[in-house]
Amino acid sequence: MSAGVPIWRCANCRAGYFPEPLLCPRCNGGTFEIGRVHEAVVEEVSVIRHMIGQENWQPRRIASVLACGGPRMTVGLRDESGPGAVIELFEEGTAPFGLAKNPA
Amino acid sequence: MFENAAIIGVGQSAYTRRPEPGQTALHFMRDAVVAALKDAELNAADLQGMAVASFSLAPDSAVDLAWKLGLSLRWLAQDTNGGSAGMSMLGNALRAVETGAAETVLILGGDATGLAGYAKVAANYNTATQKHLSPLGHGGPNGVYALVASRQIRKYGLEKSDYGHIAIAQREWAAKNPYAVYRAPLTMDEYLAAPLVADPLSRYDCVPVVAGAQAIVVARRDRAPKGRPGVRVRAHRASYNYDNQEGDGLQTGIGTFSKELWQEAGVRSEDIDVASIYDDYPTMVLAQANDLGLIPGNDLARFCRVTIGERRFPMNTWGGMLSAGQPGGHAGGLNGISEAVLQLQHRAGERQVKGARLAVATGYGMTMYRYGGTAAAAVLERVE
Repeated sequence: MSAGVPIWRCANCRAGYFPEPLLCPRCNGGTFEIGRVHEAVVEEVSVIRHMIGQENWQPRRIASVLACGGPRMTVGLRDESGPGAVIELFEEGTAPFGLAKNPA
Repeated sequence: MFENAAIIGVGQSAYTRRPEPGQTALHFMRDAVVAALKDAELNAADLQGMAVASFSLAPDSAVDLAWKLGLSLRWLAQDTNGGSAGMSMLGNALRAVETGAAETVLILGGDATGLAGYAKVAANYNTATQKHLSPLGHGGPNGVYALVASRQIRKYGLEKSDYGHIAIAQREWAAKNPYAVYRAPLTMDEYLAAPLVADPLSRYDCVPVVAGAQAIVVARRDRAPKGRPGVRVRAHRASYNYDNQEGDGLQTGIGTFSKELWQEAGVRSEDIDVASIYDDYPTMVLAQANDLGLIPGNDLARFCRVTIGERRFPMNTWGGMLSAGQPGGHAGGLNGISEAVLQLQHRAGERQVKGARLAVATGYGMTMYRYGGTAAAAVLERVE
């Protein structure tokens, strides 16, 4: 697990992307600086209660979030954070996850 | 306007939730090809072109399928655009016939992945899914469109039952379609009581995976069976990666070409008699219908409760994929086109929309990361 989630920021226009692009859709720049974003605001949440082809599936929470200073991305939620909550982002392998920044 | 090319035949295989052992996608596709050729009154040797889309072909390609079908061709294409593949292939086939590249083109889609096979497809749909979504246990497209549905419900003030109106109306149509996998009546109580799959989507909001195949024959109009009204395409448009996944998914690529589509067709959205709107989820039916201008004032709630709920507009009259089943998005999209053709030729049996002369059909697909990135649509017309 590593803190934050990578974002690819266009060296020319500074727009941030996730996942990694090859060319910037805004300015067509081809050079990106890899940074990390650490916080996001939860916008929508779903609970995945059933998965095709899986038995003994345990429900999992996913969320669409707006990364601070960055793009929207889909993360796995590791707590009960809901829409409007500010979460800390972290990465497991190549997948983004989050949990409440200041858990009660 | 396509002046020379027309859709001259349609055919499909049986649809089934659970294929027999040894029954592969190729068997279903063969059955669809035989049915479409019979409908078009052509022999396999008459075909000069083929376009195919299927998750089940690999490691084969389109030319291997041509070999297995015994087709020697001068025009060949393989499409990978998921739920819009059927509509994409239609556009390519029409242009092939119009330009003389081929006089007769078979369009084919089908799959028989089974549930386990579909789970593999969903988990490995593209690099973004493999790396960034599957490890979350995101549930495949159900999870992706659950998040889109939440946005849509909030933005347009929808209630859960609004999606139910679409599922229930389509089930009524499916009862009149012998090929539909689910034909038993569905009540609002049953809809609302169904188990959640991915909040807020429940069982009847999610397209059921089936095995099956669809085929369409496009050819010069003079190749059409005698004594049957022809179906020509007044306009066709497509869109690929319309917003770099930076929007909210509540608009689709159809919004980029809708105005042009109607202008080229020379008709208005309110002139349409019957619509086939790609329906992997009611959420995306509403998004596409809205982009097409079929929903006055962007009032999605009224469209669900009144237009569909009171059966004022015939949409997805074969039951849609939500009731007929989805044999992969490729063939699912072809089914909507086939139904539009049958309706315009007044061959839709019990589900015939009286006097249908104009239809619109769409395709939508390729869940790239946060929502689908491909879309296509056509306006079809009965020609005496």
